[in-house]
Amino acid sequence: MNSKQVNLLQGTLDLLILKSLGAAELHGLGISRRIEQMTQGTFLVKPGSLFPALHRMEEAGWLSSFWGESENRRRAKYYRLTKAGKGQLVVETQEWKKISLAMNSALEAT
Amino acid sequence: MISSRFKNLFRKASLDRHLDEELRSYVDMVTDEKVAAGMPVAEAHRRALAELGGIEQVKQVVRDRRLGTWAESFCRDVHYGFRQLSQHPGFALTVIVTLALAIGANTAVFSLVNALMLERLPYLHPERIGTIFRNVQGTEAYDGPHGITGEQWEQLRDNVPSLISAVSSRGVSGANLQAGTHVDYVHAGRISAHYFDVLGLHPVLGRNFTDTEDLPSGPKAVILSYALWHNIFQEDRSLVGQTIRLKGDAYVVVGVLPGAAATPLNADLYTALQPGRNGEGGGTNYEVIVRLRSGATWQQANGEINRAWRDGAQNLAKGYGPNARVSFYTVPLQRGETATLRPQVIGLMSAAALILLIACANLAGLTLVRITRRSQEMATRLALGGSRWQIQRQLWIENLLLALLGGSAGVGLAFLALRGLLELLPVGYLPVAGVHLDGMVLSFTLLISVFTSVFFGMLPALAVRRIDLRSSMGGHACSNTARHGVRQVLIGGQVALTVMLLAASGLLIRTLIHLQTLPAGFNPNGVLVAKASLDDVRYRDPATFRTLLNESIGAMKHIPGVEDAAVGLSLPYERVLNDSVTLADGKEAGHEAATDMLYATPGYFSTLQIPLLAGRAFTDADGPTAQHVVIVNEKFVRKFYHGANPLGRTVRSGPSKAVIVGVVADVQLSSGLNPVAPLQSEETVYIPAAQITQPDQLALIHTWFQPSWIVRTAKPIAGLTEQMQRALADVDPSLPFSGFYSMSDLQAQTLASQRIQVALLGTMAGLALLLSAVGIFGLVANSVALHTREIGIRIALGSSLGKAIRHVAGVGLRPAVAGLLLGLLGCAGTLRLMRSILYGVSVYDVPSLLSVVGVLGGVAILAATIPALRVARIDPARTLREE
Repeated sequence: MNSKQVNLLQGTLDLLILKSLGAAELHGLGISRRIEQMTQGTFLVKPGSLFPALHRMEEAGWLSSFWGESENRRRAKYYRLTKAGKGQLVVETQEWKKISLAMNSALEAT
Repeated sequence: MISSRFKNLFRKASLDRHLDEELRSYVDMVTDEKVAAGMPVAEAHRRALAELGGIEQVKQVVRDRRLGTWAESFCRDVHYGFRQLSQHPGFALTVIVTLALAIGANTAVFSLVNALMLERLPYLHPERIGTIFRNVQGTEAYDGPHGITGEQWEQLRDNVPSLISAVSSRGVSGANLQAGTHVDYVHAGRISAHYFDVLGLHPVLGRNFTDTEDLPSGPKAVILSYALWHNIFQEDRSLVGQTIRLKGDAYVVVGVLPGAAATPLNADLYTALQPGRNGEGGGTNYEVIVRLRSGATWQQANGEINRAWRDGAQNLAKGYGPNARVSFYTVPLQRGETATLRPQVIGLMSAAALILLIACANLAGLTLVRITRRSQEMATRLALGGSRWQIQRQLWIENLLLALLGGSAGVGLAFLALRGLLELLPVGYLPVAGVHLDGMVLSFTLLISVFTSVFFGMLPALAVRRIDLRSSMGGHACSNTARHGVRQVLIGGQVALTVMLLAASGLLIRTLIHLQTLPAGFNPNGVLVAKASLDDVRYRDPATFRTLLNESIGAMKHIPGVEDAAVGLSLPYERVLNDSVTLADGKEAGHEAATDMLYATPGYFSTLQIPLLAGRAFTDADGPTAQHVVIVNEKFVRKFYHGANPLGRTVRSGPSKAVIVGVVADVQLSSGLNPVAPLQSEETVYIPAAQITQPDQLALIHTWFQPSWIVRTAKPIAGLTEQMQRALADVDPSLPFSGFYSMSDLQAQTLASQRIQVALLGTMAGLALLLSAVGIFGLVANSVALHTREIGIRIALGSSLGKAIRHVAGVGLRPAVAGLLLGLLGCAGTLRLMRSILYGVSVYDVPSLLSVVGVLGGVAILAATIPALRVARIDPARTLREE
């Protein structure tokens, strides 16, 4: 366990998942590892949060899934962004930037 | 989204399998990683699983996240709920029966409210139809229906342009209709020209009355109801334009009403009222209905009415004493029609609501017990990871199930109750065509069922929040004192409500007993009466009228077993013609005395056995040409002669002067002159039937009243009614009787309202009592069950059985006594509202309050003692061993 681990807000998790799938289609573990890598180990997404989020997002129409084969020749369920998901990624990214900017200026204010 | 939910329901199995596979592949891949990092395979797999945190748990979270989950768990909860209920049939049955009774009572009463107040009247744009109320401000305040005179009718018709107005007779009267050789006694209503225009009714055949037909002595025309046209004339379409013989005269049939048409009069046929300023139109004998013309407003109409009737209002105000102010306003027809029934129905609805509250209190108590018994099961579910919300939801669903089951049973019960009630009501008592369990009523039932379940489920649901895992799992749910307290408060509350209902119905019963046992003033036993309509052109001739009476009475006296026979315009217990006479001599000379008036044949007093107190009864010598005479009753003497001897004094009625020759006892009759109670005696003048010599007077009297033939027999005679009919037919074969009644039938008709009030409120109070008894019983029984061990120890330590029983019964009796006291306090506050329907009994009637205390006390003691007796079956040794 990484001591630097930070609690994930649900919105943050959604954004991270969308972002991780922005470049390539991944299976569950792949998404988890990609997020870990993207955040330099700050966020470790546990399966207990990951899978419910994936299914919820699939239900919302942002992701689609298909069964494929993993690097180790295991059968795995892959996720990719749908068109709506790509849109959602753009929206949430802008949203996050706004928040982040606001938070920064709030914290830097004297 | 919705389709996704349903797909989820059906693809559940496949989704589940996929999810399982997905998670397994995840674990496998994590294992692969760890193996690649140098971990032994078995250890890697174990660690991977541990990181996942349990496949099943993750799956559950995923499932919960998936939309559609709710439906699945709902079905499961419903299924589980049914199983729970079927495992506890006693509990389920008690709850369902309680609910069925309470909801049934509410549904039945609400269907009355619905029919009388909510349902739209069956006319075109009923919101534009109204009637006129009179409002009197001053010492003798009044606010209610307003009958009008011929003069007011003309002012309304001609000077109120916002309204289409029409008038009718008050109620219907009997008339003889000849069809072929047969003559039928039918109910005829008299209406002005635009009556059906106001109601928006168009004849299916023919037309409405024209203005000419509505003029005094205009052409005689009749409009038939569909039922009469069907039953008597076999839907003969050629009938319109033809004449039929009605009231002994020729009437042209101008129209037939549609089959579904209901009118406020609800008559078999309608003739033109032909209103005028004289005769009937000289008094306030017309009833008004109005329709707002398009573009006009009710405010506008009210203004116009008050302007049109300004002079009349000022004259009327004088009659109400100094400073009285009279004004008029329109009200919706429905409100006008139900003015007298409204307060009763609202009272009844309140009583039904109380029943529902009492039932809720009981059910809350019962479910509380049940929760306590199930706390172990619930604690187990909590420990196994069930959320409190899941458990709560389960309880709510069970309550809802019970409420819906109880509600359905309640609808069935309401249906039966309503049928019984409608049979109890005299024909024409309700001014509506029917009372039905329609969509409106059923939605109401559904609403109160859900309301009840929420209400009685609330307490137990709160209790679940306090379930303590450890003590509940331990097996002894001992911390019940708080819940017991809640139950005792509930019992106290319901007993208090019951006391109020019991006291209210006690007062109504006392009222009914008072009215039924009033000294009748005559001997009602052994009397049979029958009415016939003399609203017939032939009997406008006084001589023909006299012959009819003499010969028919003579024939009836000849029926073997008949002791006496007579005819009178009205009978005791009935409403009497209100008229006035002018006192013509002595210091009272010129005083106009408003009085009841009826004609009677010489045998009237002896047949009814009305005691003659002074002077003489009528004889055959009191004929048309002899000195006109009258007989007055005691009340008349007291009121107008202040008790002085009235024999030989004279009164003037119309043009003729009459001498008072006798004084008879007062009889109970239906009040009309100055209604204080439904049955009372009123000042009355009797005139000999043979001395009515004016055809006009005879005609007018008989359009309103149908005289009764009265026969007294010593013992019941088989076939008396047929023989009476034959005796009448021998004199006039085309004169049917309307039906045969005993005097107690008439008394029952007059007291119908009171009987119905007693029956309904009595039923409600009985229900409340039953529910309270069940509540007390349940509380004590539960207490015995919970404290078996404690009681066992007490007995083992030497407490006597009697003491133990008293101790346990006290649990139920204490709240009952508190409730009783609270209820009596409540009575002091609320029973005053009943004052207007109580007669011969005061609001704070000690005997009825004492009997309430007695009945409730007795029932409470029984309900508390019977379950307490179970204490006797407790075996101290065994109870202690079980620990």
